[in-house]
Amino acid sequence: MTGAPGASSGAAPARARADLPSAIIRFAAVLRRHGLPVALLQVTDGVRALSQLDLADRDEVRLGLRVVFVSRPEDLPTFDRCFDEFWRPQTAEETLDFPGMVSPAPDAPEGLSLPGAGDKRETLALDTWGEPEDEDTGEPLGVPGVSDAESLAGQDFSTFSPDQLDEVFRLTIQIARRLARKLSRRRRPRARRGRIDLRRTLRANLNRGDLIELRYRQRRRRKVRLLLLCDVSGSMDLYSRFLLQFVFALQSVFNRVETFTFSTRLTRVTEYLKARSYRQALRRLTEVRDWSGGTRIGESLATFNREWPQVVDRRTIVIVLSDGWDTGEPEVLATELMRIKRRAGRLLWLNPLLGNPSYEPLTRGMAAALPLLDDFAPAHNLAALRELASKLTI
Amino acid sequence: MRPEITKIQELMEAAEYVTDAPVATSVHLATRLRKPLLIEGHAGVGKTEIAKVMSRMLETNLIRLQCYEGLDAAAALYEWNYQKQLLHIKLGEASTRPLGEREHEIFSEAFLLRRPLLQAISQESSPVLLIDEIDRADEELEAFMLEVFAEWQVTIPEIGTIKAAHPPHVILTSNRTRELSDALRRRCLYLWIDYPDFEKEVRIVARKVPEINDRLAHEVARFMERLRGMRLSKVPGVAETLDWAQALAVLHADHLDAALVQETLGCVLKDADDIKRFQAEAARSGFSSFLATP
Repeated sequence: MTGAPGASSGAAPARARADLPSAIIRFAAVLRRHGLPVALLQVTDGVRALSQLDLADRDEVRLGLRVVFVSRPEDLPTFDRCFDEFWRPQTAEETLDFPGMVSPAPDAPEGLSLPGAGDKRETLALDTWGEPEDEDTGEPLGVPGVSDAESLAGQDFSTFSPDQLDEVFRLTIQIARRLARKLSRRRRPRARRGRIDLRRTLRANLNRGDLIELRYRQRRRRKVRLLLLCDVSGSMDLYSRFLLQFVFALQSVFNRVETFTFSTRLTRVTEYLKARSYRQALRRLTEVRDWSGGTRIGESLATFNREWPQVVDRRTIVIVLSDGWDTGEPEVLATELMRIKRRAGRLLWLNPLLGNPSYEPLTRGMAAALPLLDDFAPAHNLAALRELASKLTI
Repeated sequence: MRPEITKIQELMEAAEYVTDAPVATSVHLATRLRKPLLIEGHAGVGKTEIAKVMSRMLETNLIRLQCYEGLDAAAALYEWNYQKQLLHIKLGEASTRPLGEREHEIFSEAFLLRRPLLQAISQESSPVLLIDEIDRADEELEAFMLEVFAEWQVTIPEIGTIKAAHPPHVILTSNRTRELSDALRRRCLYLWIDYPDFEKEVRIVARKVPEINDRLAHEVARFMERLRGMRLSKVPGVAETLDWAQALAVLHADHLDAALVQETLGCVLKDADDIKRFQAEAARSGFSSFLATP
């Protein structure tokens, strides 16, 4: 293998060896800063792993630590970047130091941030979304009381002011909970039909000496899953911040949700949204560098069908959240949507523009999609999201 | 490189598994750190194969738990042989022995059906436990397995606690139909297997289908590489490559040509739209473009 020269490994100073745990701890911190979910257990495993690896072989150390710290393929590039920065190959002056290992400067993290020039705008767009949550400066003046909930529910997302966000979020969570309850409900009719359940029958009759009371077994109901495909392109900007908040809330109360965002390309964000707070989720989402650009719905769905076909089955409700402005070919959109429809239990399209009475789905993309949908509904305000409950059945 | 890792690589190759450093390193760490290894990757890239090769390598048993939706703890761990118990009760109906004694009897080892997890913890030497397609099982089972992994002991109320004298080496595979819990991911080492690159695929074909010549093996690998670069809805995996190579061997082919590919395309492309896409691409760029070095 290539990498650091192995010749000096025998001379590795004991000091450096003793420092390995602290190096791993710092490395774990760097990984966390870049969004990898690194737990304490993995840190100890990292230290243990190093004792099983040839420390003079940089590639081996990389592969070994990768096995420990990375737990999903999306994180591989980030890990490799962090590794390259943190465990820089040894240079001439550093020969006395630990082979293949160099500690980063104490305040290196900024230097580690991901490169890229054209993404300023998107990143900024995301950054400001978290701002209004500022807990300390929140003054009661603009915050609507509970009684305002109804008026809030009818207000179009695009007209909200930043100081209404907290209240909206609270309501969003309520709605998400209601949807989750609806999805989790498992109806099990008590009808005296189905196969005899031998186990329960036996248990029930153990003390009777004979099989008096028969127990029946119902076929287990398979659980419903949700798949959300969210448009985060420029034309959706005013809505996607609320809709993503909704998606975040939904994901935090219902665990069988998969979420993807798309504008010009597709990104799986299920993991990014598994954060403790919406703010943290947004920070993680910043890594998705495709925000507020153009829309290529068809292409994005094609990517989805190609790479994630297994995510959709008969028990999956697929929800597309988009205004239908597509710069790609409508035929592509129709073909790919058809592919999804064939596999899915139900296909919904939520369009925030539908809240406007004068809106007609005339964009080429929307027109192509319309005949394939099981349901086409608005998503411009909280009331519309609440309505969603009635549509989430297969 | 650690000699152990080189050794693993050699052993895996000897067991007919074409491997590389990432695979060997993760197997090495999984056996040394005694941690479950979670392997994810597209269908047909040889995830399950690793467990089989590992058991051959360690000269130990392979115990497989195939997951499916609705698989519950009972079917994974143990069940009572109800029919046999029932029969036993019937036969002993005339008996005047006390009820407690009779009950004790039907809940003894003789009536216990050992399912894979229980089998895995009651072996003479550490077996390889393959939990295949864990993503198909429900979240509840995942949580239950974490519990088992933590202790390697199982309590059967009627019998008592069984503790593994030799905890198994665990391999879990997932096709990512469902995102696994963070708890599970944290407790496992992780390996992502991508489609093989050109060189590796040539080696795989040459190793697994020795009947075909070197030139054909290269052409097949090149063709597959090109196909995977197309926008297909069902991207062919290594399993497809091998099926195809096998078919070509049966036909005594020594090189690929347009007619031969048309005849055998069904081994590789299994979706009507994909076949159409391929035909269109072949008509546009010419068949030879599929064999050209990129």
